[in-house]
Amino acid sequence: MKILVTGATAPLGAAIVWELLASRDVELVLAVGREPTPPRPLDPSARPDPRLVYRAVDLTRPRALHDLVWGEARELGIGAVAHDMLHRSAREEGRRVHAQNVDAVRELVLACTDHPTIRRFVYRSFGEVYAHRHATSDLIDEDAPLDFDPGAPQWLRDRVEADLTVCARMAGPLGIAVLRCAEVIAPGVGSQLWDYLQSRVCLRPLGFDPMLNVLSLPDAARAIGTALRSTAIGAFNIPGADTLPLSVAIEESGRADIPVPGPLLAPLYGLRRWVAGFEFRYGMNVRRFHFGGVLDGARARRELGFVPRAQVRWPPGRQHPRFERPGARAPAGA
Amino acid sequence: MEAGATGATGAPGASAPRTARTFARIAREAPFHDEGYGFDVFGLHPPSLARAVRASRFFYERYFRVDSAGAEHIPAAGPVILVANHGGVLPVDGAMLCLDVLRQTEPPRIPRAVADHFVPRLPLVSTLVARMGVVAGTRANVRHLLGRGELIVIFPEGVTGPGKPFRERYQIQDWRVGFAELAIRYGAAIVPVAIIGAEESWPMLHKVTALRAFGTPYLPILASPVPLPVRFHLRYGAPIRLAAEPAAADDPRAVAAAAAEARAALEQLIAQARAARERGLGGLFR
Repeated sequence: MKILVTGATAPLGAAIVWELLASRDVELVLAVGREPTPPRPLDPSARPDPRLVYRAVDLTRPRALHDLVWGEARELGIGAVAHDMLHRSAREEGRRVHAQNVDAVRELVLACTDHPTIRRFVYRSFGEVYAHRHATSDLIDEDAPLDFDPGAPQWLRDRVEADLTVCARMAGPLGIAVLRCAEVIAPGVGSQLWDYLQSRVCLRPLGFDPMLNVLSLPDAARAIGTALRSTAIGAFNIPGADTLPLSVAIEESGRADIPVPGPLLAPLYGLRRWVAGFEFRYGMNVRRFHFGGVLDGARARRELGFVPRAQVRWPPGRQHPRFERPGARAPAGA
Repeated sequence: MEAGATGATGAPGASAPRTARTFARIAREAPFHDEGYGFDVFGLHPPSLARAVRASRFFYERYFRVDSAGAEHIPAAGPVILVANHGGVLPVDGAMLCLDVLRQTEPPRIPRAVADHFVPRLPLVSTLVARMGVVAGTRANVRHLLGRGELIVIFPEGVTGPGKPFRERYQIQDWRVGFAELAIRYGAAIVPVAIIGAEESWPMLHKVTALRAFGTPYLPILASPVPLPVRFHLRYGAPIRLAAEPAAADDPRAVAAAAAEARAALEQLIAQARAARERGLGGLFR
């Protein structure tokens, strides 16, 4: 099994690379990133793995992308592609960001469609593409409506467009799986919730305590590895092992939870972003901070065989979940 | 009182000790799909539910003096849909029904009441009712609950039930059929429940549709600032087990027939319970 991994120098891309290399059935990983150096191994003292080939390629350039896919990838006999190259910052917008988030995805999936060796394409999408409304279900399956709000920030609009761009090619010869992952809670992955939980004081809409589901970095990498080995085609929700109210997530992170009237939150967090330069944008999260939404992973469990196992590592603070209910299931890894 | 009735004042020997045990047992024994932090995916939190049951004891036992009969018809396991008539301004009827199910079932079954779409928009209320087990009335939510064999409480009239004028009390309004489709699809038993007392407890003088907040359908003008201490009578009918195959859930005629069967059973229960109440002494308040 020979696999091309994009976004390989980002935390999730690197986790995918090392997850794949940990398996004996993987003969070669062609890792692609923008940085000049390859992803760092989990164990710094480990010897370089000869199965890892790294290339620094700017995939927003169609010619460079085409040459990679039809040049080296074809020569190496790459059979599957895992695409995880999206702009992580919610603060940056514009054509360059759109080129990375959407245009590169379109070019890549088109280049792979009639490729002589590539038969599998796994795209890491986001649970945020679903519309969060008071009238939508608490449990979100793959048939739930997507968020086509034209007023949504580019971060979200790009992700919806990229998701649909890939989904539109599913009828072709390429075996495509779109993994709509729950929010990955880890540093450096562009998680809004992680950034939100960095503050010592977390402000929450008064009167609302929605249910969240979050995904750990190892589970996200394992889901992509599982999808690469599968032949299942379609969109799949990838939930995490942690389903909890927002207030408990704040408590788990050891932060102070202060409910504040909703209309005050946007200016307060806008001020925080302006003064301290944080990534968290309340406007991007206002709906899910009011209405619960948990990804239903039944299809991924049924067709991919993926079940989340690893709990997230919350930002430094208390790490032990509260078990009020006697006999409650101890989370994996607790 | 009808045969088999129990309740706060109905069967003293059975009710009191069972009530005391129930509060603790809800948190400890009621089947519950814990996601690892003590909550289910919809936000149900059994310790919060147990506290609410304890806190509402006065209203159930002393204020509304709930008189319950026929709860033995509720299946002990498997998917169940309780369909009830809806009346009164605020869902006091739903609260009393849910409390009664918790108290009367052995072991306690946590009722999952299905609320209208505007409920998740209500500050404080949305979180409070979610911790009690209430879910928003979307098809996917109810499908998921029935798929894992839970007990659903549905008021098929929706907001038209509480919104009807007092002169139309106990007359079924718009009768939605979605519950029948789900019952066929998931093989769920339908248990009709007549709720008598809610209509007189909190009558509405007028509804102002021009004033809406948080998506509510209207602003009610109440006849009383608080609900009147009218006695509630809950009557559970025999479960209706639909013979249709799950594939028939897509057949509109089969669904309409099943919904009509449930409606007829409920209307009969309502008529019997009202007649029994009128035969009793003391009118509405005893």
